[in-house]
Order: sequence, then C-alpha cells, then structure tokens
Amino acid sequence: MGFFRKIFQTGEGQQEKASGPSVKEPQQPSFLKLSANIDYLTKALKNSSDLKVRILNDGKAALLYYESLADQEKLQKKIFSQIESGRWEEVLDLPHGKHTENLEEALKTLLTGHAVYVQEGSTTLTQFEVTSQFNRSVEEPINERVVRGSHEGFVENVMININLIRKRLMHRDLTFQYFRVGKKTNTNIVLAFMDGIADPNIIEQVTNRIKSVTSDAIFSPGYMEEFIEDAPFSPFPQMMSTERPDRAVANLMDGRVLLMAEGSPTALVLPVTFFMFYQSPDDYNSRWISGTFIRLIRLMSFIIAIGLPAFYIAIIGFHYEVLPDDLILPVKGSINEIAYPPIVEALIMVIIVELIRESGIRLPQPIGQTIGIVGGLVIGDAVVQAGLISNLMVIVVALTAIASFVVPSYELSTTLRILTFPLIFFAGTLGFVGIVFGMLFILIHLCKLESFGTPYFAPVAPLRIKDLKDTFVRLPLFWLDKRPKDAKPVKSKAIGESREWTKIERQQKRK
Amino acid sequence: MKDSRRGNNSQPRTNTSRPNGNQKNQKKQKLSRRQFFFVIIQTQIGVGILSLPYDLHKAAGKDGWISLIGAGLVIAVLLILIWLLAKRFPDKHLFDYIGILLGKFLGKCVSLMYSVYFIFVASLVLILYVRMINIWILPLTPRSVLIVLMILAGLYIASSSITVLARVYTILSVLLVFLIIGFSYVLREIQLIYLFPIGTEGIMKILQGMNAGAISFLGFVVILLVYPVVKGTDKEKLWTIMTAHGFVLFFYLFTVFISFTFFGSEELKLVPAPLLYMLKAFEFTVVSRIDLFFLSIWIVSVTTSFTSYLYMSGIGFSSLFNAKRQLPALIVSAFLILFVTFLPGNEEESIIKFSTWISRGGYLFSGILPIFILIIAWVRKKKEQGSESSC
Repeated sequence: MGFFRKIFQTGEGQQEKASGPSVKEPQQPSFLKLSANIDYLTKALKNSSDLKVRILNDGKAALLYYESLADQEKLQKKIFSQIESGRWEEVLDLPHGKHTENLEEALKTLLTGHAVYVQEGSTTLTQFEVTSQFNRSVEEPINERVVRGSHEGFVENVMININLIRKRLMHRDLTFQYFRVGKKTNTNIVLAFMDGIADPNIIEQVTNRIKSVTSDAIFSPGYMEEFIEDAPFSPFPQMMSTERPDRAVANLMDGRVLLMAEGSPTALVLPVTFFMFYQSPDDYNSRWISGTFIRLIRLMSFIIAIGLPAFYIAIIGFHYEVLPDDLILPVKGSINEIAYPPIVEALIMVIIVELIRESGIRLPQPIGQTIGIVGGLVIGDAVVQAGLISNLMVIVVALTAIASFVVPSYELSTTLRILTFPLIFFAGTLGFVGIVFGMLFILIHLCKLESFGTPYFAPVAPLRIKDLKDTFVRLPLFWLDKRPKDAKPVKSKAIGESREWTKIERQQKRK
Repeated sequence: MKDSRRGNNSQPRTNTSRPNGNQKNQKKQKLSRRQFFFVIIQTQIGVGILSLPYDLHKAAGKDGWISLIGAGLVIAVLLILIWLLAKRFPDKHLFDYIGILLGKFLGKCVSLMYSVYFIFVASLVLILYVRMINIWILPLTPRSVLIVLMILAGLYIASSSITVLARVYTILSVLLVFLIIGFSYVLREIQLIYLFPIGTEGIMKILQGMNAGAISFLGFVVILLVYPVVKGTDKEKLWTIMTAHGFVLFFYLFTVFISFTFFGSEELKLVPAPLLYMLKAFEFTVVSRIDLFFLSIWIVSVTTSFTSYLYMSGIGFSSLFNAKRQLPALIVSAFLILFVTFLPGNEEESIIKFSTWISRGGYLFSGILPIFILIIAWVRKKKEQGSESSC
C-alpha cells in the first residue's frame, strides 16, 4: 500500500501542476484490486465522514456514495433490489449504470451525488445516479409580481428552470450551453440563447468572458455579473436579473442571451438597455393604452426619483423668483422656522428614509410593518412638529422615495436612490446650473455606456425612431413587428401579417 | 470573428466595420446622416443666440433680419465650397490633407493655427457663458467653478469616440424643441408693425448687419473634420449639410423675428439679451421666470458647441504630434483653454475686444483658408485616388 500511495502522491502532484494552466482533465486509471480503488477514492475525498463505503458480498464488492447527497429510495430501487435477489454479477452491468475506468471521473460523479459500485478483480466502475433533490415549488417570485400573466418563477435548480423555459419555447433553435465556473465551487453556469436570432458575436463575447473567470468561488449569476460586465465602475446595472420564466423567454425571443446558475433562481439577461428596466410583463398583458400610460408614469418616476429633491433645493436655495406670487407665501411659511439650509434638510430626510427601508427589509413582516409605521408616520410627523424639517421637504422626499420604487427592477431602484445624492449636492451648490451639469453628466454617461458592445441608452441614443414604439409607449403588439435593434438580432422580423383578417372580413361584408 | 474583421480593416478604405470599442477601430466608426445633422447644428447654435437679435439690430436696425437671410445665403455658398473640398478626400479630415496639399512644414503650421484658433473660440465661448451666468443666475459664484465644470463636461463627452459625441448631441437636441415651443408662446404678444417699413435702413447698414449675422453661423468648420466618418454618398451628405444650415437659419430667424416684433426698434437698443427679457415678462400659474429655465437649456447648447471646439482642437493637436491616442491631446487643449479663458480679464471692454478679434479670425479660418486650400487642391489636382465614397 505504501508503495501505491507513493505513486499516487507523486502522480497527483504532477497532475495538479499540469492541470494548473491548461484545462486538461486529470486522469487516473482504476486498479484491479478493490482495496486500491477504495483507498484512492476515500483518500482523495479526505475521508469525509458523510462518505459511505458499503462493503458488500463478503468484501468482494463495495458501493461508495455520499449519504448527504444520495437519495435512499433511489439507492434501494436501483441497486439494493438487485443485490437482494442475489444477482451480484449483474450489478456491474445494470443498464442504468454508467461505466468508467477513470477514478478521477468517478470522483467527480461522486461529488455530484452518484453512487459508485466497485468489484474485486474488475477495473470497471459503475456509477448510478441517485442524487436527492430538494426543490422549492415554482411559485411566483415576490420581487416581480404581476397582476395578470404567469405566476411561475424560477427556482434554485437549474434543470427545472431550463424545463420552465423549454416548455414555453418549444423550438429547435433554443440552445443551452453548460459551463463549469469556479475552481472550487464548480458551479454549473448555463448560457441560453436562440440560435439564429441572437447575435453570434455577442454569444462569443459572453462565452469568452465566462471562460476567462478564474475565481475559486462563483455562487450566483449576480456574482458572475461583476466579472463579465463592461463597466464595473458605472452605477447603472448592465445586466437585468429576472426570476420570471415568461420574461426570460420574451428576452430570448428578442435575441438576447440568458445566463443562469445552479443554486440561484435569478437569470441574467444581456445585453440590456436602460429602458428595458422600465418594461414589465404587465405592460404586454394589459391593453396597450393602459400599458402605455403605466409605462409613461414609470419613466416619469425616473425624473422624479433623481431630480425632485435637487429641483426643490435649487428653488428654495437659489431661485425663489421661479415660484409664482401665490405660491410664495405658503412656501415661505413652511420653511421660515427651519434652522438648517435646505441641503442639510434634504440629506437628513433622504438618509432617514434609507434607514427605514433598510431596517424593514430583513425583519419578519409584522415587525417590518411596525418599523414602517413608526419610522414613516411618527418620525415624519414629529420632525415637522419639532421644527427640524419643513413639511414641504417631507413631501418632496417621500415622493422621491415612492418614485424610486416604481421602477420594476430592484437594482435600478437602488441606483436611482444613489444618484439622488450627487444631484442634491450640485443643486445645493450651484442651483439650476448645478442640476443642468449633474443631469448632463448622467446623460453623457448613459450615452457612453455599452453592454456587450451594444449601446446602453438605445433606442434614444443612438436614436432609432422605429424602436421607440416599445420604449416610452407600448404600441399594439401587431405593430411591434421588428425586434429591437439594440441586441443586434440576426433575424429582425418578429411578426408577419397577423391582422389581414380585417381586410378579408371587410371584403366579405361588401359582398 | 474579431480577428478576421480587423484583418479587413487593415486593407485600405474598407469602412464597413461595425462599431467596436477598440481604439484602433474608432476612426472607422461611422455616423449616420441624422447624427451629422445634429453635430452641425449643435456646434453652430451656442452662446451667440442670446445676443444675436441685439447685435443684428445694432448693426442693421430693424432690417437686421434681412441681413441674417443675406448672411445665411452667403454661408450657403461657402458651405458648397467646403463640401467640394471635403468631397475630394472622402477618407481624410482637414488635418490629414492639409499636409498633403501644402507640404509638410506649411501644413503643420496651418494645423497649429487651426488648433490655436479652436482653443481661442472655446475660450471665448466659456467667457461669454460665464459672463451671462454671472449676470443672470449666480452673481456670487466664482468664475473658475463654472469654467471648470464646463470643461469637465466637455472632456467627458469628447474623451470617447465621435459616435458617442454624436449620440449625446442628438439626444440633447430635444431641448431645442422646448426652446422653440417656449418662444412660440411669445408669438401672441408680437407687433408686426415694428418690422415696417421694410428696407428703409439702407443697403450699407444691411451689409454691415451681415457681418453680425455671419458670425453666428461660424462653427460649420466641424464639417471638414467630421465629413469622412459620415455614412452616405456625397450628394446625401450635401443635402444633410444644407438642411442643417437651413434649420439653423430658420431657428435664428425665428428668434430674431420674435425679439424684433416683441420689443420694437427703440426698446431693442436697451436690451442686450432680448430673448431672456422677453421670457422674463411672462408668468404662468405654476411657474414664473421661465427665462431661468431657458438659460438652463441654453447652458446645454453652450456645452455642446464648446465640446465641438474642444474636440476639434484635440484632433488638431493629436494629428500635429502624430499621436495615436486622442485623450492626452484633449487634456492639453483643455488646459490651454483654461489658461486662455483668464487672459482677457473680466472687464466688458476687453471681452468685446477679444470677441471681435476672434470673430475676425472666424473669417480667416472658416472662409478664406478653406477656399484657399480648395484652390490649391484644384491647381495641384490632388485628390484621393481610386476611392469611391464609401458605403
């Protein structure tokens, strides 16, 4: 044994060195001797306590599996029922077993929850899939609820997620590619796209970027995001995360690429544009007029969320004359007794709102509500009563907070609330001029930003008038016959003639 | 894929490559004609617009609008000449072919003169903008703060490719629509009688007024630098240039028309920024003093034309030193602009002197020199060989 061990160790050492830079899979042929095989595997798996080695048939065979990963029922059904009937020889050749003669491969499958059957005098190892799975039901994600439409959501198991997508998109062009990322975590990352619609350049770009990640641990797509996005120093999210299969499918059909990971219910959509964050599946499920109206409200909320406190401060601090005569007295009356300049007031209020939000977010719901009431009503009222903050400022900040939550994406909502601060500073120091420059900087940044080679602020900059049909407004679906150009789809036509029946019916009536 | 594409680019004059973040490919990025249009108008419309009606009136009295039309026509002819020049070199911009036409040394000299001229214009833009802000909005704010902010914004736009610049200009042009709507509100208060009788100021005065009018159009030099990166045939580009010119002329004419008819000849002598005074007079139920909002939009217009000059001087310097990257040249230009801005001081007289000199320079650099270069190109029969005018 000692002799063997030496060989293994040196062999292992060499293999590890070799596997460092190159991606070559390690190889280790299995031995004829049963004990050598078991020895090798248990040693490689560091004698972990949950690794079960069941010696069978008076020491002539053994079954190895992780009791923490294996499903006892499956084990019983697939292997032990055979053994019980005494057919030892056939276990090795059971049809649902996969053969290998490579111990390293057996090691890997063990780690994914397989059971490995080894026999004395045979180099063949048989692997049985006995993985136990604990799955959440595919219930609606709480952060992306819709009124009408599908109420299914992604779960932590990537196979179920793929199933949810495949069931919605039964086409042969739907392609999934697996990647193993994270040297230690070995996370399964799945890239999904519609071949023939998605731009092959983008797919290649994404693939290259995923492959170049050499982190030890990748836990979720969100973790992946920072490694592969174009501008990590930008405040704007450059990938959209979604937990809704219907949203994912709609984006696939636009020629975008989906990134999913084992263990996370979030799928990342890329490339994205700024305006995609303001679209919600609800827009398409309701009538187009109401969809348009709601979308306009949402986009207005963007302006309010980043600009309203700044605008108010600029008026109070610099440009009183902008207020019409009738409004001056109420405003003056409200802020007359306040000891601080408006910029301090605003900062205090904005930070209080953030505190309330952050403290309520992780608490159990009843306590969270209490915090909301105490924070919102009591503090809001008391702070005005005490004369610390004017009631106008409370209104302004509350409106801003509400507006920042209108955007259907959580990431962008956080971005908006962060962007409020520089604008408050600009407005507090330079008034309107400051706001103009602050907004200008944000706008230039948005125009500059690119997500996987596609402009982020499309279709507004660069301007594509045809794509505006589904940006600020949502026109009837049969008018949206071309896919948006920002994802550079290979095939741009999405809808053929679908309302020809109107003409036919009219002709029939005439007859 | 990428490599093969780059391989294509290495062949001369294949401009079909798609936009790509690569520095090497950046020059190959193409603007659409719509973007070209907005680059031209955003460069032209800038600081001058506030004082244009006043200047025209000062020179040509109530017939100033005739001068403006006259100036517009003269510039249109000049634009055709500039187009003829740009057309000869479909893949090169001004600084590239100056050297070919004038010889290496003389070419470098002229390039340097152009770059310095652009820096001075940019400084003048800054000076006029700061003066206006100090008078109207922020009397106590130090000049340097406003100047540095503007330069930073300009650098931020210009530091990336021309496509980003064009994107920003295009989206900011929405604001011009707001301006036109705002001015249209004034239409209900105008008195057409102030324009009559037409033509009584005399030919001489109208001709003098054309000077003031022509200055406001300066900025079309940008055509010579941007022309090669625009998609389309030469004829289409000429059409774009002409529509852009037409739009600017219409816009100026509109502002001049409403300020002339709103104030009348006697009053106009007293108001140096008639558009602002005009808007100041209106009060709405929710808001008053819309001139402040107007000024805010005007700042954006100023930023765009400032950025154009900064960008042009950046191109000038980088081609002067054969630099591959543009950013260092842009930063150098920005510092030079900052320096020049503080040269004339803050007195009214020195500013006026400074601006007169620079507008005279405008005739040289936007009119005489391009025509001179065109004549040389004709005489020496220099033309880019064997290139069709790209996609």
